[in-house]
Amino acid sequence: MMIRQYATRPGTIRAIAAASVLFAVVGTSGAARAEDPPGDAANGKRLYLADGCFECHGRAGQGGRFNYLTPALAQEALPVDSFIAFLREAPNDMPSFSAAVLSDKDAADIHAFLQSLPGPRPAKDIPLLNQ
Amino acid sequence: MSKRSNAGHDNPGHNKAGYDGAPDAGRRNFLKGATIAGAAALSTPAAANTTVSGFPEQRPKAAIPGPKLAAADAMPPPADPVSQTSSGGDFMVDVFKTLDIDYLAMNCASSFRGLHEAVINHGGNSKPEIITCPHEEIAVHMGQGYAKMEGKPLAMICHGVVGLQHASMAMYNAWCDRVPVIVMGGNIIEANKRAPGAEWPHSAIDPAALTRDFVKWDDQPVSLQHFAESAVRAYKIATTPPMAPVMLSLDAELQENPIENRGALRIPKLTAAIPPQGEEAALAQLAAMLVAAENPVIICDRVARTQGGMPRLVELAETLQCAVIDNFGRMNFPSRHPLNQSFRRSILSQADVILAMEVNDLWGTLSDFHDRIVRSSSPRYKPTAKIVTLGTRGLYMKANYQDFGRYQEVDLDIAGDAEASLPVLIEQVKRRVDEGRKSAFEARGKKLAAAKLATIEQAKSDATIGWDASPITTARLCAELYNQIKDEDWSLVGTSIGLAWPHRLWNFDKAHRWNGLAGGGGVGYTLPSSLGAALANKRHGRLTVAIGGDGDFMFVPSTLWTAAHHKIPLLYIVHNNRAYHQEYMYLQAMAARHGRGITDTDIGTTIKDPFVDYATLAKGFGVYGEGPINDPNDLGPALKRAVAMVKSGQPALLDVVMDQR
Repeated sequence: MMIRQYATRPGTIRAIAAASVLFAVVGTSGAARAEDPPGDAANGKRLYLADGCFECHGRAGQGGRFNYLTPALAQEALPVDSFIAFLREAPNDMPSFSAAVLSDKDAADIHAFLQSLPGPRPAKDIPLLNQ
Repeated sequence: MSKRSNAGHDNPGHNKAGYDGAPDAGRRNFLKGATIAGAAALSTPAAANTTVSGFPEQRPKAAIPGPKLAAADAMPPPADPVSQTSSGGDFMVDVFKTLDIDYLAMNCASSFRGLHEAVINHGGNSKPEIITCPHEEIAVHMGQGYAKMEGKPLAMICHGVVGLQHASMAMYNAWCDRVPVIVMGGNIIEANKRAPGAEWPHSAIDPAALTRDFVKWDDQPVSLQHFAESAVRAYKIATTPPMAPVMLSLDAELQENPIENRGALRIPKLTAAIPPQGEEAALAQLAAMLVAAENPVIICDRVARTQGGMPRLVELAETLQCAVIDNFGRMNFPSRHPLNQSFRRSILSQADVILAMEVNDLWGTLSDFHDRIVRSSSPRYKPTAKIVTLGTRGLYMKANYQDFGRYQEVDLDIAGDAEASLPVLIEQVKRRVDEGRKSAFEARGKKLAAAKLATIEQAKSDATIGWDASPITTARLCAELYNQIKDEDWSLVGTSIGLAWPHRLWNFDKAHRWNGLAGGGGVGYTLPSSLGAALANKRHGRLTVAIGGDGDFMFVPSTLWTAAHHKIPLLYIVHNNRAYHQEYMYLQAMAARHGRGITDTDIGTTIKDPFVDYATLAKGFGVYGEGPINDPNDLGPALKRAVAMVKSGQPALLDVVMDQR
């Protein structure tokens, strides 16, 4: 259900992507490091649902719609440290999640869950998407 | 004007009307014959409270008659006819018939009982035919959906006070959506004609004041001739762009009492106003700008108000081979047209000329707004871009409600109805296109077409993510629904899912494929407005479908009873994400911002404990219902059954348990 209505804003998505690249290059202190052990995807799934990530990005990481189209996160491409840095200072309407409410470990677990989700598959294999 | 008894005294017996203060409003003249002395006795406070006080009372002594009472005693009793051969309501119905009003949506109420009876017995319940609605908000929203599909308004009537308060939010939606609805409210103007009890709190000096901020015009006629002229005027004003609801307050006496001289009454002829066309020189200037531009972009919102709107816009865009961005306020532009770039708004950053037609919130369309602790924004267009507006929005504004959006600077502002202005604009453009420009346009069009194809492929790819998931993804639902309706003459008349998936995946190629959104964002729109659109589509044999939110549904579930009662075929899918999801997301953002807990934002934003069984609700209202559907593989068969039901002339509801949207 929608109370406020705005035009879709894919530009915002691009801005998020751009910020993601920035974080990927720069990184931030305090984030999990690439050499850290991989996150716990099962705990990540629990947190993804409990912490409300699914509200904008979908339980299957398929993306969705807030005041604009929200990006799909299945098979998240960001390295874990960039992902965490992104969460700490998210751009535009994406909420930022401080360590007070989401630890680096928990964020890494969410990252692991997102990487475990199947991403897109060939649309040509689904007849309903070709009509 | 009044024939209601007014012998100079309160009618006796009215205090018997009820200790609960809610007498039967239909008994206003019932006890006219009682004695004046009796009236005086019963009208004392002691007598009025007798039934509830429980204390024995002393019967008050009759007052010694003064000169007026003595004179009244000596006069013959007032005439007390018990039947009449005509009523003002009959004439009102005659007026409706001349206006070709098909439907009168209403929830019955005593303040318009006179008109109600006249519609049935004088008018034969045809033009207008009564559509019984369990809530006034439903009635107005039905009118909103109906008008956008049929191209003309229906009428609704309600109690002018309490009913209008129910109706008001829907009137606001229609106002913001620029849709005509003829709203009427019953009232009893003369204080000395009102019965004690309900008729007093149901009367007002100026009932329309409540909604004056969001109607285009209102009146309270005091004679039948006055009514005829005001009704025709109201219809004309409502349907002249920029369109909007109008409000007429109808005196109960005027509706109920006999017509004194029908021959003296005249119903004025309705002559529709020709929608204003933009000034020709300004359109020529715009044409020159568009032809010279390297990357012109057309933004449209409520452009198409007739079936001719979309073909004209297509002709303009194809002549220029330019990008079109649709804000989806109406069925403006085919969804799969190669020039439709609605899901590539980034092209605005490259535009050198932006033409915005009938766009309400242009600033919002042209700006990236950041909902952060410090709110900020940035333009999506380059500073050198020329911005032109064409539309009627600026011709009629009011101050209080802020639906007009932030002020947008423009370079040329052409006041005129966009659809009416398009033929001249197209002609002016064609006159300026030489072979050199034509070649450049073709090259531009090819690039845009390629980008459009990529957008469609991206949408299909995005739709595959979570294809087999439960709760079901919105993309899967929309793909399954389209599969069932694509070979029918379908019409999608409402969504509460943020628009994206149907318009990304489906082929919207006809004027009736889509009819826009709520306008004011008031919740409770989708179900009743969809039913109103379905009422219009019924006579055209179209298959009407809508995808509504569960929260939206919860405001007006009894709309389903109207669907069943009037046998209005509509396939309604409850997109049941078990939340007020937009608010859920907003609250999550607040919680993250405040950094003191992010796991409890379901409080006050979700619809669970218990879950609602919408299919059972539907059955309770007499509507075919299935669900809850959790498995995406069950969707296709369920949709097939529901479509068959709708094609047989019945409404049907599917409750589909969904992931967000």
